[in-house]
Amino acid sequence: MNSIPQKIIVNIEDSKYLSWKLCLINKLKSLKSTNIEIDCKNLDLSCTDILEIISIAKENNCEIIGFCSTSLKTIVSSQSLGCKSQFIIENNSNETLKINEKSLTFSKTYFHQGTVRSGEYIESSGDLLILGDVNPGAKVSAEGNIIIWGRLLGIAHAGNKGNSQATISALQLRPVQLRIAKKVARGPKEKPQIGLAEQARIDSEEIIISPLETS
Amino acid sequence: MATDTRVILICSGKGGVGKTTLTANLGISLARQGLTTAVLDADFGLRNLDLLLGLENRIVYTAQEVLEEECRLDQALVKHKQESNLSLLPAGNPRMLDWLKPDDMKRIVDMLKEQFNYVLIDCPAGVEDGFKNAMAASQEAIVVTNPEVSAVRDADRVIGLLNTNAIKPVQLVLNRVRPKMMANQEMLSIDDVTDILALPLLGLVLEDEQVIVSTNRGEPLTLNSVNSPAAKCYLNIAKRLQGEDIPLIDPVEESSGFGAKFRKLMQTKIF
Ligand SMILES: Nc1ncnc2c1ncn2[C@@H]1O[C@H](COP(=O)(O)OP(=O)(O)O)[C@@H](O)[C@H]1O
Ligand SMILES: [Mg+2]
Repeated sequence: MNSIPQKIIVNIEDSKYLSWKLCLINKLKSLKSTNIEIDCKNLDLSCTDILEIISIAKENNCEIIGFCSTSLKTIVSSQSLGCKSQFIIENNSNETLKINEKSLTFSKTYFHQGTVRSGEYIESSGDLLILGDVNPGAKVSAEGNIIIWGRLLGIAHAGNKGNSQATISALQLRPVQLRIAKKVARGPKEKPQIGLAEQARIDSEEIIISPLETS
Repeated sequence: MATDTRVILICSGKGGVGKTTLTANLGISLARQGLTTAVLDADFGLRNLDLLLGLENRIVYTAQEVLEEECRLDQALVKHKQESNLSLLPAGNPRMLDWLKPDDMKRIVDMLKEQFNYVLIDCPAGVEDGFKNAMAASQEAIVVTNPEVSAVRDADRVIGLLNTNAIKPVQLVLNRVRPKMMANQEMLSIDDVTDILALPLLGLVLEDEQVIVSTNRGEPLTLNSVNSPAAKCYLNIAKRLQGEDIPLIDPVEESSGFGAKFRKLMQTKIF
């Protein structure tokens, strides 16, 4: 009758250990053949890190059923690898945001949940985080970075007050037009690789698009 | 008195995609299932629901006189000749647009709700006042679109507005589907459209010359030519609206010879 597999949450952010890797290995040693969910807390993990977690789990006969984290970068990484991912916005969201922002140059993150549809315009005076698609005909703009947990098919402008360090990330980056600071580029024509999140940034005066590396 | 009347807005953003044709055929199909149905022409600027239903010459009063209390609702309602469960409430003259408010639409719809199982509102094109008035009186919506980039773009805009106004459910009808053109990738595929709009697909309607013939005759397809490809689509949409589980029409069978190609097409994206 016990059809729902037992789920054990493994927290890999523990100050007892020197790194999350050691933490994970040690915690898994004591669990055998179980379904686990990895709680990455506020660690910023790249796709490579996520792959490593998966392979460590395999070596220990564990099956990862999903990831959760308060770091959007981690969620984008795990999601882009096709893992079940849950973005956690902590109750005391103001404080969480502040912690995450220490590494960022901008002060405010504007969240939008749901599809941004044709004719809609969303703007942020800090970073902009969208959980959903940005459809053709829609426009999103931010003074800081733009992160889209979904497809970007409309127009995005990051660094709209001139910050050329700003980036645009999306699970699928196929916009009509991209702008970073004063640079303008048209979206790529070729089809995206499935399962790889992408990022646009300025590199030697040009907007380039590459697979998302978050670390 | 009908208690749980469904008030459905039929809208699209872009004009000429098939709202009025859908309203007329859905009205006939629902009425034939024994459901009392009112179709309300909210397209005061370009009214033609009366024409499609062949009721133009029987209009005496319109929604305008009802609102101005110059006549009772039942005096303005025009009962369909063959399908007595179906009634039309005609649009007043275009000058109504100058003074009509969302509350006026609500008043009219509230009156209709007392007598009918279904109220279908044929919405004007665009996203301006005419659309907003009609939306104010609706609970749910059907968005009609064609497999064309501009129609999909406008539908997306409308869906955004429906969502912000808490209209639900919002379902999609994809009209003028041509399997041959889809197979040749000259038209957006069904997946392309549902991918962008992210709405449940209530049905497809095939491109069908009979639609034009029937429009000119003032006899909706579903009234007399029930075997034409588009009529079957309309009938299925009405049944699904009633909660029947009817599989989506397979355009392959409607246009034999494209079988494999079309099936492949359903899996490819051409955006
Ligand atoms: N499935 C179809 N096949 C062929 N012609 C169609 C179809 N649906 C609509 N049409 C034609 O398209 C035109 C516009 O339809 P209409 O219902 O008046 O659109 P709307 O009310 O959205 O402006 C009409 O001439 C109609 O006959
Ligand atoms: Mg019309």
